[in-house]
This record gives sequence, C-alpha cells and structure tokens, in this order.
Amino acid sequence: MITVTGTSRAARPARRTRPPVPVRWPLSLMLLVLLLAGCSALGSVLAGSAWWWVLLIVATVVLASAAGIRRARAPAALVPVLTMGVLVLLLTLLFGSGTGLLWLLPTGDTLTVFADQAEAGIVSIQTQDTPAEVFDGILFLLAVGVGVLAILMDTLAIGLRWPALAGIPVLVPIAVPGVVEPDGAGWTALVATAVAYLVLLRVEVHLRPPAVDTAGPVAPVGSDGVALRGTVAIAALGIVAALVVSSSVPQYGGAASGGRSSSALFGSGITPMIDLGDDLRRPQAGPALHYRTSAEEQPYFALLTLDDIRGATWLPRAVEPDPENTVTDIEIPPGLTQEVARTTVTTVVGIDGVATDLLPVPVPATSVAGLTGDWFWNNNTRSISSADSTTVGQRYSVTSLELQPTREQLRQADGRYPIGIEPSLVLPADTPAVIGETARTVTAGATSNYDAAVALQDYLRGSDFTYDTEAPVDEGYDGGGADVIGTFLEAKRGYCVHFASAMAMMSRSLGIPSRITLGYLPGTRTSTVIDGLNRYNVDSHDLHAWPELYFTGVGWVPFEPTPGRGSIPDYAQPENSAVSGQPTGAAAPQVAPQQNDADGLQTDSLSTDTTTDDGVGEILLRIGLVAVGLLILLLVPGVWRRWRARRRRLRLADGRADAAVAWQELTDTAVDHGVGVSDTLTARELSEGLLARRGVGDTPEVTAALDRLLVATERTRYARRPAPAAAGDPRLLPDLDTVTRAVRGGSSRLDRLRAVLVPASLSSPVLRRMGLAGDTADVREGAADERTPTGA
Amino acid sequence: MNTFQGKLGTGTDLTSGAASTGTTSVRESVSDRHPEHAEGDTIVSLDDVQRAALAIMRNVESVIDGKHSAVQIALTVLLAEGHLLIEDVPGVGKTMLAKALAKSVDSSVSRIQFTPDLLPSDVTGVSVYNQAERRFEFKPGPIFANIVIGDEINRASPKTQSALLECMEERQVTVDGHSYRLDRPFTVVATQNPIEMEGTYALPEAQRDRFMARISMGYPDSQSELAMLDSRDLTSPLVQIDPVVTAAQLRGMMTAARGVYASGAVKEYAVAVVRATREDRDLRLGASPRATLQLIRAAKAQAALHGREYVLPDDIDALAVAVLGHRLVPTTRALGHRSQDSALLIEETVRRILAATPVPTGVQGRL
Repeated sequence: MITVTGTSRAARPARRTRPPVPVRWPLSLMLLVLLLAGCSALGSVLAGSAWWWVLLIVATVVLASAAGIRRARAPAALVPVLTMGVLVLLLTLLFGSGTGLLWLLPTGDTLTVFADQAEAGIVSIQTQDTPAEVFDGILFLLAVGVGVLAILMDTLAIGLRWPALAGIPVLVPIAVPGVVEPDGAGWTALVATAVAYLVLLRVEVHLRPPAVDTAGPVAPVGSDGVALRGTVAIAALGIVAALVVSSSVPQYGGAASGGRSSSALFGSGITPMIDLGDDLRRPQAGPALHYRTSAEEQPYFALLTLDDIRGATWLPRAVEPDPENTVTDIEIPPGLTQEVARTTVTTVVGIDGVATDLLPVPVPATSVAGLTGDWFWNNNTRSISSADSTTVGQRYSVTSLELQPTREQLRQADGRYPIGIEPSLVLPADTPAVIGETARTVTAGATSNYDAAVALQDYLRGSDFTYDTEAPVDEGYDGGGADVIGTFLEAKRGYCVHFASAMAMMSRSLGIPSRITLGYLPGTRTSTVIDGLNRYNVDSHDLHAWPELYFTGVGWVPFEPTPGRGSIPDYAQPENSAVSGQPTGAAAPQVAPQQNDADGLQTDSLSTDTTTDDGVGEILLRIGLVAVGLLILLLVPGVWRRWRARRRRLRLADGRADAAVAWQELTDTAVDHGVGVSDTLTARELSEGLLARRGVGDTPEVTAALDRLLVATERTRYARRPAPAAAGDPRLLPDLDTVTRAVRGGSSRLDRLRAVLVPASLSSPVLRRMGLAGDTADVREGAADERTPTGA
Repeated sequence: MNTFQGKLGTGTDLTSGAASTGTTSVRESVSDRHPEHAEGDTIVSLDDVQRAALAIMRNVESVIDGKHSAVQIALTVLLAEGHLLIEDVPGVGKTMLAKALAKSVDSSVSRIQFTPDLLPSDVTGVSVYNQAERRFEFKPGPIFANIVIGDEINRASPKTQSALLECMEERQVTVDGHSYRLDRPFTVVATQNPIEMEGTYALPEAQRDRFMARISMGYPDSQSELAMLDSRDLTSPLVQIDPVVTAAQLRGMMTAARGVYASGAVKEYAVAVVRATREDRDLRLGASPRATLQLIRAAKAQAALHGREYVLPDDIDALAVAVLGHRLVPTTRALGHRSQDSALLIEETVRRILAATPVPTGVQGRL
C-alpha cells in the first residue's frame, strides 16, 4: 500500500520459486565409497579383482543416475523406480550378450539370458570352492546385488534422509565371507567400511541445512547431537555384528566348499556313467578345471576306468588304494614296453569346479606334485584317489608320458595277454546278439586286432551314428549296459557313454580286452598365455568317456569312437582317411587343429560360458562401443547449434537477415551460457539480465553494442514497417560478435563447455513446451535488486 | 525514464538522461524554441514531446522529491488524455503532485474540494436566471478547466461523484438539456484516501474504471524527506513553479502521442495480459475492454515521452499495474486475512500475470 505502484517492471517478483533440489553429490559419493568398501570384503571369497571394477561401474552408474534423476526434479517416490530402470538398462548392456534393443533396452531374449546367467551363477557358486573364479554368471549376480544395494542405500540415505540406515545394506557383502569362509572378511575391508560409514555420517551432518528440516522427516533441529550419537551407536553395532558373524558362524556345511554331495560331477560314484549323461545335459557348463601343458597334443584327463559291466552300467573294478603308492612316483602302466616311442610332458592343472576324490590327470601319469592331502595311485585302474582330501582348490603339476605307438607295433601285438586281464574280456551272459554280430560284420576282413579296433572306431564315427545327449530312447537309456548298447546299435543315437561302451563291448566280443575311461576332453584354448603356454579351460560339458583296448607290448591304448568329440589318436587314424573327414594322414598328424573348435555343440556351450578374463574384456569392449556411440550422439547437439549460428551469421553478413535474427542468436547464446531466458521476457529484460553479467555491463563498448542490437531489434519487431535500416545493418554482425564474446568471456569454464557440448538453446523450446524449462529467476533478480521501491 | 534510464534507452534517451541532471535551461529552451506553438494546436515532433515532458517532470520533481515513477505515470496519463487517481494516506503529497502538474502547464486549472455536502451542480455549474436578459444563463462550474483537481473525491456523495465521472467519460457537461463541450486538454486528477476513513464514500468499481490509472505515492525515503525539510522551510514550493508548456503545446503533444505506432504484437500482448486478469484464480473481477484500450493509449503516451515512435512490450509492463490495478477485485479467498492489503495483493497478481505472459515478438519462426 505504501509502496510506489506503477514502478518499473524490473521490480517484478521472481517467479514462484521451488524448494531447493535435494541433490547431494558428496553424499552420493560417500555412499559409493561405502558400498565399494563393503564389496571389497568379497575379495576373500572371490578370485582376481576384475569383478570389483565391474561393481564399481554398476554402483557409480546407479548412484549417479539417482542423483541426476533427483536433480531433474523427479518426484521423490519415482527416484528408486527410475533408478531401477537405469540398472536394468545397464545390466542389459553388460550382461545381455547384445540381445537388448540398441544393447540397452531389454527384450524377451535378454530375460532368457539373464535367467541363464543367474542359474549359471548359482551353479557356479555351488560348485566352486573359495576363492571362486568369477565367471559371467557370478558377475551377473554380483552386479544385480550391488545395483539393488546401491538403490536401497540411495533411497535410505538421500531419499528418506536416514543415512545411518544406509549402513545396513552394506552388511550383506560384509557378511557373505563370514558365512562361507572360516576366517571371515578381511579386517582391512572391515576397517575401510567402518571408516567410510563414519565419514558418510559426518558428511551428512555437515550437509544438513541449518534450520529447514522441519519439513523433512528428520529429527528436529537441536537433536542433532542425539541423532549423531544414535547413528554412531548403530554403526558400531553393525560393525561388531559383522565381525561376530564373520568369525563365529561355522563353515557352512560342506556344500559350498566342495562336499561330494553337491558336486556337479559324479554324485555318489556308484553310477558315474549315468551321472555323466546328466552332467552333459546341463544347460550351462560349469567350469571344471584349467591347465597348461607342454604336450603337443592336448591330453585327455582321466578320472577313473571302468571295466566291470554290471546290470545297466559299467562299474570300476574294486581295488583298495595302496598306501605305498604315493603319487610322487607312479609306475609305468602295465604292458608298456620300451619299444613304444614316448615323450615326457608336464601339465599344470588348476581345479575350478571338479569336486571329487579322484584326480583328473593326463594318462599315463608318472608323477604328480603340488597336491594337498594324501593321494594314491592304482596301477590297474590308473586312477589317483584320496581318502582324506578332495580335488577342490587343488593346483598341481603332472608329469606324464605322451605315447606314440606306431601302427606296425599295434598290428604285431599278438602275444599273450597277461594274467589278470580276464575281467576285461567278460561280457554279461544276457548280452544281446546284435553286439557280436555287428562287430563281426564290421571287422570282416580285418587281419589284426588293431585293424579290427580301427574298423570298429570308424564304424561308430561313421555317418550312420548321431551324437545326441538328449537321446534317451526310453527310460534308463543312460549308462552303458549290454541292453542299452543293443538298443544303441539299432537306434544309432547316443553320446560318448554309448559309443565308448559299444566299442568296448564289441571289442570284448572279438576277444580284445577293453575298458572304459571316464574323464575330460582337452577343453578349449584361451588367449591367456603364461610361461609361453596357452591356458586351456575345461568345463563340465567336456566330460567324456572313451574306450581303451589292450595291445600286448603297448598296454592300454585309448580310442575315440564318439563322432564329433575329441580327437582321434594318430595311431588310430584310418590310413586312407576316408571316414572321419578330418585332416589326417601321415603328413600332418601331429598338428591336427583342435577339433573341438569346429564342433557345433562345443562351440555353443563355450560361447555362452566365457570365463572371467574374456568376459570382462568383452564387457569392456561393449562399454567402449556404447561410449563411442554415446559420444557421437552427444556431439550432435553441439554441431547442430554451431551450424545454426553460422547460418545466421552468414545471413547477417549478406544483409538477408534483420536484427531479430541477430537477437535470436544472442538469446540462444545467452541460453547456452546459462542465462535463464523465457518467452515471457522482453528484449529489454533479457538485455538487463545480460548487463548484470561480468564482462558485459562493465565494458562500455560491449554495453554500447548490446544497446544498438537491442534498439535495432525493437525497431524490427515493434516499429512501423518498413522499418528503416532494420535489415542489412552492417553494424549488426560486429555488435553481435562483441556481445557474444563478452557473454562467453563472463561465463565459467563449465558453462562454456556446456555451451559448446550441450547447448541449452536447442532443448529449451521443447522443454518449455513441456513445462519443464528452468527458472528465469536469476535474470529477474539481477535486475530487481537495484529497484526495490524506496517507500516500502 | 524510470525504466529506461541510463545506457539502455534509445539513442535519444541518452541525451535526455544527461539533460535530466541539468537545470531549468531545458525548460527555457522549450518555450524559446517554440514560440509559435503558443498560438495554436500545431504539430509537435516526438523529440519535442520528449523535451517538453522532461521539462515538466523537472518542474514537478522540484516540488515532489524522490517520486520519479509516480510523476512519470502522472505525466503519461496527462499526455494520453486520461484521468488520474492518486490514492494514498494523507500527507504524502497527492495534492501537491496534482497542483504541480497543473501549474507546469499554462492552462486553466481548477480545484474542487469534495465534501459530503457537495452537490453535482457545484461541479458542473448551474443555470441561473439573468434578470437583465430575462433568460437562464449557464454559469460553468469548476469542471470547465483544462486540469481539474478533485481533492478527496471519496468524501463526496455518490450523486456528486457520478456527476463528475460522467463529465470525465463524456468530456461534456449536460445541464438542463443543454450539452457543453469541455476543452482539450481535459484531465481530472483526483485524490483519495485508500482506507475507510470517517465520512467517505468509496468509489464503486464502475466509476473507478473511468480513471486511466491509479497511483499511490508512498512515503519518501529519508534522504528525500531531509531534502524536503530544507527546501520547504520558508515558502510553498509551488510558488516557484512556472508553466513550461502552453495548453496548445500540450494538445500538440497529445496528438503526437496518439500517432505513436503500436504493432500487432504489442496489441496482442496487451490483450493477452488483460485477458489473463479475467481468468486469474485470485481475481473476482478482471479488467474491462476499456482497460485494454487505455492500456494501449497510455503505452503510446509513455513511448512518446521517451521520444520513441513505437510502443514496446516494456511500456505495457511498466504501466500495467497502474492502469489495471484499480479495476481489479481480488477474491476474498486470495485476500484472506490481508483485507487491508488488497492494493498490494493486486499489484503482486498483476506482476505475476506479466511474468507469466509470453511476449510476442511479431517475428515468425526461429531461423
């Protein structure tokens, strides 16, 4: 009432101001530090450190996007939801195997991939001992967990303003090692987490606005001290709880650390052949072991041999481990004579997922070093076993022989069989006649046992037979019993167990001693090279069974009758190479490529089961590609804006544009540099806003140029037409350049960068239309201060 | 001058800004340079309008300290041939402003002190019987003047008020079936106390609408008040005021102001602002179409005052509160407990509307 009415419009009040945006970057940063400090406790149960970086990326993206969403003034309740959306996009990018739309938007395939990853992760966790190798599946589970924890912490600490409670989610990664490991989490991780938590609380108290908390759900001002003490108490409680849990909880059964019962390998050891079929049919291969070898041909890893056909399956011959037979010195296999050429090779093996009391070794092994526990060998079964230890977590080095018998040696092996070989010639009484008949038909014309064996192998590898792990013709098809093999020879579908059993039985029907070995194929070569040797990864899909036939003077000789699996030994290669279709022959027998790579089934299982090294590399590559794409996308607005500015200036220079265009360009420049402009501002109000900036109002020539531009603009817009000297004024362009330079010069470096990269003038019209344009208060405030009515 | 002070004015504004610190030389130069204008209603250039306006303002401001914007709006209303309502508490210089303005123009001035017993004929004049000529003869009342000062207009009875307001709208007086035209310029400067004081009759909305603008003076700042103590010690400052323009010159200035160009964009803006008052949630009664008309007219006058031959949206902004304010009635809900502050609330509301109304540029597209 007592004020001067009708004063200048400069005294217009700023528009309704919204409450300050609760963006608190330091708090978000501290949450990130806290979470990752907590996650570092997982270091005692997980191998390597690459996983931690992936978790860093996930947590950073989640927390940063939560803060960004808050800054964009999304409703508080929506922040966790939107952040969850961001997490899903990120997971699709990292783990979707490219199934996402644009790699980002999850599709139905992505969900399938996620489900597979989760399942593989769970299997992987169950089968591995600590420290566990972090395969894609585990990494996926970790990323999901950390993402969810980050959202939870962000919501608690920033959304609900209960930073003290943000410590609770961190207890999850801290407690995990306590459950799994006897020693619990490392004390450094615990201390780091505790420190990060205390700093978080300190930062939060520091950031708390002095007296505006009445609106928030926080304790009223004045009880700060109490609140702080309370949070410290909770913190201390949490840390103590974590320590107690991690040290006092007993090791969780044997399951997680390698008891046989939960093994992916032969569960009870009673029916290994049947279990082998189950293992092969697992959708996700779990890692079994990895190795480096000096052998020229990648070795098969034998676990045990079976030569007792009983009922529906083969069983190992019962032999008691002999305490005298320590693995430091293993006898050469029975029947092997000095005539057979041999090379001594060394293989360094690391067990990933095999959990059993039988040691996978290349045959025939002569010594094993580096094992923990007592291990003994048996000369008949060639298996190395332990009564008090398991393969879990073993790293050992095997010295073995690479035998190179010649065909002639094998052909001439017609001598007498040693005593005790009889069980290897026994066929059950109810053996179907088809086995013997088929064997005789196939080997008709063979002049030696060796030729017969090769003929059998070629027959089974021939095009009549199909490899199919899903082949159970009826119930009980798994296993290698006589009935089953009879069915197999008619159905001609099956997997390694059937092929191996068939060859072994047919051999026995011909009088050749035979048995079956269970073990692993040589696996897949990786790009990791250590000490000049490639690392090979073997997974549960590499489980295999193959027959061994006895030849006098050579001993037990392995064959490979399963089509599409493994590689045929040199001595068993058909001489005219007509059947297998593999690159064979005398010219290049030694350098036959890893057939596994060409094998459809193998490739499939491998592509979905990349190990950590490859997986992280691929993820990083994918991130890189997306980053490059985003970068290009980010450059688009800047380039567009520059192009538009250039076009306007050209038109101004030509005299084809009038002052309004110059003003529009000036307005856009101002908007780009963070001057709040809305279409409710008149040209004069805008210029007053500009004058309030550093470098404009205090420089006379800039002020004069701005003044000329303003008058010319007003004339163009509002004067009677044709406006005199409105278009083609030669002073427009220099004036525009002067003012533009001054506006740019008066901006902070960040503003300048933003003006170049993300010019706001491109988006503001759109945002304004959506009602999201920023406040124009700053311009008004700048002009309003000096003009407060005096009488008030 | 107020809003365009300093460097940002038009080119001519710069010179006037410098001159405002000068002395009475400007005033003299106006009367010296245009002696011929004293005789008739001649064409006055916008530059002359600006100079003359400046002289008047200097004159008035020598009496009223520190009320630049109020003086400017008063002058704008005078130039736009509107009527001015000055509303404020007693003793802040309402009447002084009106008198100083009137005295600056060499024209007929009359002053009516409104009282509850004032009759309409006391304003308009009466027909009296002339014994000599044996017929009724019209004795013009105080309304027959170029500038009429209506002091404390809300003290008069509604009947008298409406008689005055009729003259203001029609610019003629009808007495006994005979109409008498009022001379140009004709401006009523009325003052009133804002709050319900003893023995007042508030002007109804319909009658307030007749005034082009309402201003309030406000208290001076301490510096102005000190200066006032020094300058008013001995004599009435009004004595020192000499007219700086003649009535004919003023008519010429008015004509020139009418010729100022208001572009389609500016008109759109004015309409948009006025329409927004009709739809605003805080206002029970918005501004009338007459308000739009007067807003544009006042804006033209203000542009002329600055020597500009076209109206800017900023002119609309600068005048909106004064021109629209007294026509608006706030809702009781918006008013809430601040029933004493309705003028303030209305001012805030108008400014909010201004801040939310997009300014048309008249330029299509964005290149």
